[in-house]
Amino acid sequence: MKVSNKSNRWLTAALLAPTSVWFVLMLILPLIVILVFSFGERAAVGGYAGGFTLEQYANLPSRLKAFQNTMTIAPAGTLLSLLVAYPLAYYLALRVDRKYKLILLVLVIVPFWTSLLVRTYAWIFILGGRGIPSLLELIGIEGVRLINTPGAVLVGIVYGYLPLMVFPIFVSLEKLDKSLLEASSDLGGSPLKTFMQITIPLSMPGVATGCMLVFILLMGEFLIPAFLGGGKVFFIGNALVDLFLQSRNWPFGAAVSVTLVVIMLITVSLYMRMTLRSNTGRDESLM
Amino acid sequence: MRIYAIAVFLFLYVPIGIIVLFSFNAGRHASELRGLSIQWYGKALSNPFVGDAFTTSLIIAFSVAILSSLMGTTAALALQRLKGPVRVLFDGLIYISVMIPGIVIGIATLVALVTVFDFLNPLLAAGWPEGGKPPKLHMGYLSVIAAHTLFTMSIVIILVRARIAGMDRALIEASMDLYATPWRTFYQVTLPQIYPAILAGFLLSFTFSFDDFIISFFVAGANTTLPIYIFSSIRRGITPEVNAIGSMVLAVSLCLLMTAQFFLRDRARR
Repeated sequence: MKVSNKSNRWLTAALLAPTSVWFVLMLILPLIVILVFSFGERAAVGGYAGGFTLEQYANLPSRLKAFQNTMTIAPAGTLLSLLVAYPLAYYLALRVDRKYKLILLVLVIVPFWTSLLVRTYAWIFILGGRGIPSLLELIGIEGVRLINTPGAVLVGIVYGYLPLMVFPIFVSLEKLDKSLLEASSDLGGSPLKTFMQITIPLSMPGVATGCMLVFILLMGEFLIPAFLGGGKVFFIGNALVDLFLQSRNWPFGAAVSVTLVVIMLITVSLYMRMTLRSNTGRDESLM
Repeated sequence: MRIYAIAVFLFLYVPIGIIVLFSFNAGRHASELRGLSIQWYGKALSNPFVGDAFTTSLIIAFSVAILSSLMGTTAALALQRLKGPVRVLFDGLIYISVMIPGIVIGIATLVALVTVFDFLNPLLAAGWPEGGKPPKLHMGYLSVIAAHTLFTMSIVIILVRARIAGMDRALIEASMDLYATPWRTFYQVTLPQIYPAILAGFLLSFTFSFDDFIISFFVAGANTTLPIYIFSSIRRGITPEVNAIGSMVLAVSLCLLMTAQFFLRDRARR
């Protein structure tokens, strides 16, 4: 290198400066403010008044229903997405002809990058009174109600987050050493045994990444329960929108957000522990 | 197995198809299909609220895309020269900003900015010269752009860094050995190799920002972006006009994604 070390260091710092400012102002500072707010009191006109109290945290049980719904439907939705995604990822990674592999994978991922709002809205249509229930009436099954049920929210979840689950599983199955599968069948392992003892264990990193990504995003979900749960099946996200934008109880909202973030951090650290030994390509799996 | 895959693809695409189909509805009611027409597109496009929301969304998405690709690329270039604790710190921040749900970003930004503005506005008013009208800081375009950029900038860093990792280092060394200045090496050797990733990052940032609802919902203040407009329309009732707007939003993202895919494929082929 002909450039001196010193000027090199300055250049690196200058290149990183804007990003650092952004991280500090838009990520670190806001999270600190939220934490401070969560120990404060509510001002008479809404918003925040200073102070140090644990009152907000003591008040958490008043939103117990939102936490319960989130902590049951989010894991169930994650599991259901996994069950739907795994066979598809398996098919795409190991059964499809090379020529079509990329295009099919792109077709799975594209919906994820289009508006979740519009895609979830489509299900109001399908599950609503004039959708599937009216079709069922035609064949004589009456009085079926689909929308505003936990089931409707689960369908919305699988629909919205399937691509995010398929991709990491696809990546880990694709990387799998095919000669292991051949070796297993040469040694007389049945297809089921090969699948259970080789394919599944080796795809675990992808499964763990997919589950973690979907679970974390579901913890903060607002749109799907708002559209398909109709006020009956609400998540923490719906409680937060209410607390910050309608009833303007900011300190309590802050306490709810901090609790939410803590639950997410626990999830991530569990994940890290699970996958510490197996080295996944994290960069790829995020896309 | 194949039938299963087809079923899942249908599950993914039929709802989108239904929205598009019903947007061409000739009837007045959203859920009854009575012939095809493009009248609702005309209605949507001539609705001034839709026009305003569309312009707002475009301005925000474009600014987000420009900012993210510039900041993301420079940061990715800097990070590849770094090792040790600083690198680990940045890696952590990048992953946190990608994984954190939008609602948390929205709330945190809202609360932090309102606090900062409440602190700065009286100071500005007090320090402003006599007779002049002091500016009042408030939530708006800039707060949405700043909040979106946190996420999209990290996406660009991840994309560009993956591309740098796959780059042929020998070319850079050759260029240096041939006495090219660092700037010239960057411009003529590094940049041509990483630009597909930068462009893909630009397009993904645009798409993300254009489609985002929850962050904008918290930090847009009195402004209305297109997703916010659609959300409040749905609250008032489903009309074929909403279907037409929704189809247009889908069309915008699909076009951008196709282009992004083209550039990322270009990357894979080399």
